[in-house]
Amino acid sequence: MSTRIVRSLVGAFLALTFSLAASAASKELNLFAWSEYVPQSVLDGFTKSTGIKVNYETFASGEEMLAKLLAGGTAYDLIQPPDYIAEALIKNKLLVPLDYKKLPRFKNLLPAFLKMPHDPEQKYTIPYMASTVGIVVNSERVKEPVTGIKDLFSPKYKGRIVTVDDGRELVTAALYVLGYPLNDINAKNLKEARPLLAQWIKLIKLFDSDSPKTALLNGDVDLGYVWGGEAALLWNENKKFIYVLPKEGAHQFVDVLAVPKGAKNSDAAHAFIDYLLRPEVSKIISDEFPYTNPNGEARKLLSPEQLANPASYPKDTRKLDTFRHLGDSGAMIDELITDLKNAK
Amino acid sequence: MQALAIPDAENLHARRPRLWGWVLLAPLVAWLVAFVVVPMVILFGYSFCTRDDLGRVVFSFTLENYGRVFDPIYLRILGRSIGFAAVTTVLCVAIGYPVAWYIARQPERIRDKLLLLVMIPFWTSFLIRTYAWIAILKNEGLLNGMLQYVGLISAPLPLLYTPAAVLIGLVYAYLPFMILPIYGSAEKLDNALVEAAHDLGAGPMRAFSEVIIPLTWPGITAGMLLVFVPAIGMFAITDLMGGAQVPMIGNVIQNQFFRARNAPFGAALGVVFTLMFVLAYALVHRRASRTR
Amino acid sequence: MSAMIEVRGVTKRFGDFTAVDRVDLHVAEGEFLTLLGPSGCGKTTLLRMLSGFETPTEGTLVIGGEDVTHLAPYRRNVNQVFQSYALFPHMTVEENIGFGLRMQKVPAEEAARRIAEVIDLVALKGFEQRKPHQLSGGQRQRVALARAIVPRPKVLLLDEPLSALDAKLRQQMQLELKRLQKHLGMTFVFVTHDQEEALTMSDRIAVFNRGRIEQIGSATEIYHKPCTAFVADFIGEANLLDAELVSRNGTTGRIRVEGGLELTLALSQWPQDHSRALVSIRPEKVLVSKSRIEAENVFQATVREELFQGVLDRLHLETGAGTRLTAVVANESAILEAIHAGDQVWCGLHVDDLIVVRPA
Repeated sequence: MSTRIVRSLVGAFLALTFSLAASAASKELNLFAWSEYVPQSVLDGFTKSTGIKVNYETFASGEEMLAKLLAGGTAYDLIQPPDYIAEALIKNKLLVPLDYKKLPRFKNLLPAFLKMPHDPEQKYTIPYMASTVGIVVNSERVKEPVTGIKDLFSPKYKGRIVTVDDGRELVTAALYVLGYPLNDINAKNLKEARPLLAQWIKLIKLFDSDSPKTALLNGDVDLGYVWGGEAALLWNENKKFIYVLPKEGAHQFVDVLAVPKGAKNSDAAHAFIDYLLRPEVSKIISDEFPYTNPNGEARKLLSPEQLANPASYPKDTRKLDTFRHLGDSGAMIDELITDLKNAK
Repeated sequence: MQALAIPDAENLHARRPRLWGWVLLAPLVAWLVAFVVVPMVILFGYSFCTRDDLGRVVFSFTLENYGRVFDPIYLRILGRSIGFAAVTTVLCVAIGYPVAWYIARQPERIRDKLLLLVMIPFWTSFLIRTYAWIAILKNEGLLNGMLQYVGLISAPLPLLYTPAAVLIGLVYAYLPFMILPIYGSAEKLDNALVEAAHDLGAGPMRAFSEVIIPLTWPGITAGMLLVFVPAIGMFAITDLMGGAQVPMIGNVIQNQFFRARNAPFGAALGVVFTLMFVLAYALVHRRASRTR
Repeated sequence: MSAMIEVRGVTKRFGDFTAVDRVDLHVAEGEFLTLLGPSGCGKTTLLRMLSGFETPTEGTLVIGGEDVTHLAPYRRNVNQVFQSYALFPHMTVEENIGFGLRMQKVPAEEAARRIAEVIDLVALKGFEQRKPHQLSGGQRQRVALARAIVPRPKVLLLDEPLSALDAKLRQQMQLELKRLQKHLGMTFVFVTHDQEEALTMSDRIAVFNRGRIEQIGSATEIYHKPCTAFVADFIGEANLLDAELVSRNGTTGRIRVEGGLELTLALSQWPQDHSRALVSIRPEKVLVSKSRIEAENVFQATVREELFQGVLDRLHLETGAGTRLTAVVANESAILEAIHAGDQVWCGLHVDDLIVVRPA
């Protein structure tokens, strides 16, 4: 968390400095995106081919992005929110509809990633990368099969588990186990989830959203409930790290590209989206960050090794759901998790 | 023999600052207003507001946020944070005092070098230093490796992501803030006073408790404030070294702003927290000035 | 009187520097002994060894019959008055004075009585509740003194305790200290570099130079019969003249001093088998008059310079042969006789006022 904050603060500062230094508006794109998500070579390639300079400002969480966007300090031309934040922005009319005439390469995208619940009409957003939240097992240390959330949170793994430090992901896991839809966050369901979560939290050794792979690599823990991208990196590192989509169901998340209201350079934003949709450019992103690439043409360029990574391209996609915007019930999750951690 | 008249020190210094004084002070005052007063006023204002669907602050007047602050959940977190900070402070005094005293008693050239050693860690980013501790404490880390090599343990001890790791991190991070003020008062302490105590029959322990401690008390209290107050609010160490298992008040407040998007509640926590600091400071300060 | 302090062959070295060099010293019970010498002569180091803050490199220290060479300061029955007073700033006058009693676990009632007594003794009544910073220099000095004597030590060590006071107060305190010491019958070892202070107060004075005791004796002995050129020069003033024995005549001898003046001195002090020696003459022993003077040694000289110094007049004289002497005469006699620079005067010296000293 904090490393990301520091990094994004530094990024913000640099971006501010640059944006003050340069002035030619039409030749500049203010991009607001996740840290460590857009390769520098892609930004350079775009500038080379279009002459448009990219100011890459970063954030470490969707909420942080939302906060800065709403604060209105910088006029961003292109933002990269996670799906549920994009949904909230659409609902509050804070995004500008896309002009598909300027996006000829839109056709490269796989249908599975289009018209998703956050943007059912595909009017405002273009998927950038997708991933899931699943189970990682160090198969050298854990011999029994772990196929679902219930297997993972078993008392015999006490003190050997890392999970993302994210209340909603934990609540989602509990709702899956209880058999409820993951977006049904209400007082009744949370009450039912509570004893389950209380039990789990006692088993967890480490909560880490930034780099859950580190503890697994260091051997401090043997199992994880982590971002698919992290699991993919672990698999690249050592094939002993097996990624499993829980049989109860898994959260799929998609980070999208969108043009916020008040963007000064919508043309550049479209040009950049279309540039990212180029198969060879999209491949560069996949090479550096092994998430699930929604670009069908780009996937054809990936190596068999890349496509075989179970965390990037899970074989068995039984039940995948995306988050919906929660509104006020987010506070209930926050309080529940705080309370449970507190009781530990 | 009659007493000499003692000039009234108060009268000599009670002159009012002139205009020129204010001009010199202006940058500081401006800085304080811009970065302390204004943010505090905003925080105070926010604490009575509500949030909308997107987490934007909606101006209204409600005491609901303060109601939540005094929910047992948050009180318990605050209690734990104070506990950790208190243990950290005690450990810092216990470790820092002998170090500060030793440095202060050295010849000046050695003293400067030792002080430099105390301050060198500040040249590196706090996060990097914390990551260094992770490398030391992790299962396959330096400490476990050494203990296993020597044969003291057969399996790695779980050190990282424990409350002990949090304490190690906190003590490490704040120790210099204890050493420096204690050094400041220990260095000023006239060695003749210690000799006088010995001369009058005080052994090392008595001289320490009767003379050295009281006379370095200002340094100790300054160190305690410098350690205790920030240690309560620290969140990075609990996340990185404690595995974010147990929330501290700092984590909770940070979460309200960056994750839960509930700035009004975070502000209310912050306001209550700040008021408690001010209160604690006033108490310690009163004690300190009474013993002087 | 038995020896309260015995210093036997004590040496203290700090690295290459020898601060105290094979010193032997006896101090009698109830005696007021002053260690006198310039700064860096080793007197303070010896005092600090007596109080226990330094340990001798060689030799033995005995206080009250007990070998204390390696005894910690807080186990010794001696107390010190520090040059800076070293009063505890966080304690009141009463608490400061009572500190030693508290450490000795003297019952509260007795302690209170003794504290009240000593406060009376040093005239600090009414100041009991003051903190040190609310006192004048003289008052602090008396608190330090009271604090050191109230535990009734066998020996009181005083490290230049009066040096921070102004001249008037210092003289007053000298008398008070002496009176107090007589009253208590306590053994005092007093360190100073001020010869006047030493001469006023001491039963005996030990003159230190370069880590060694040059001479030890009563004030009059030290003053009138200095053994060495250093003592003669450090205590009071001296005309130090190289002398050659010219002839012997029973108990007296004839010497020729530098510049050629011939004088008679008592032969008993002349060193055996030496033809040359150093002779010390106190300026005030040189008799000066415009008329002829009755003395064993009489000669004429010219006044080269006359310096008015209040009660006294200092005259720089030169004899016809070229011997230079300093004389100090009472101011009124100089006025009466109207002695001025350039005048020819008669000078006289008694045989006993020529002292043979060892060179430094």
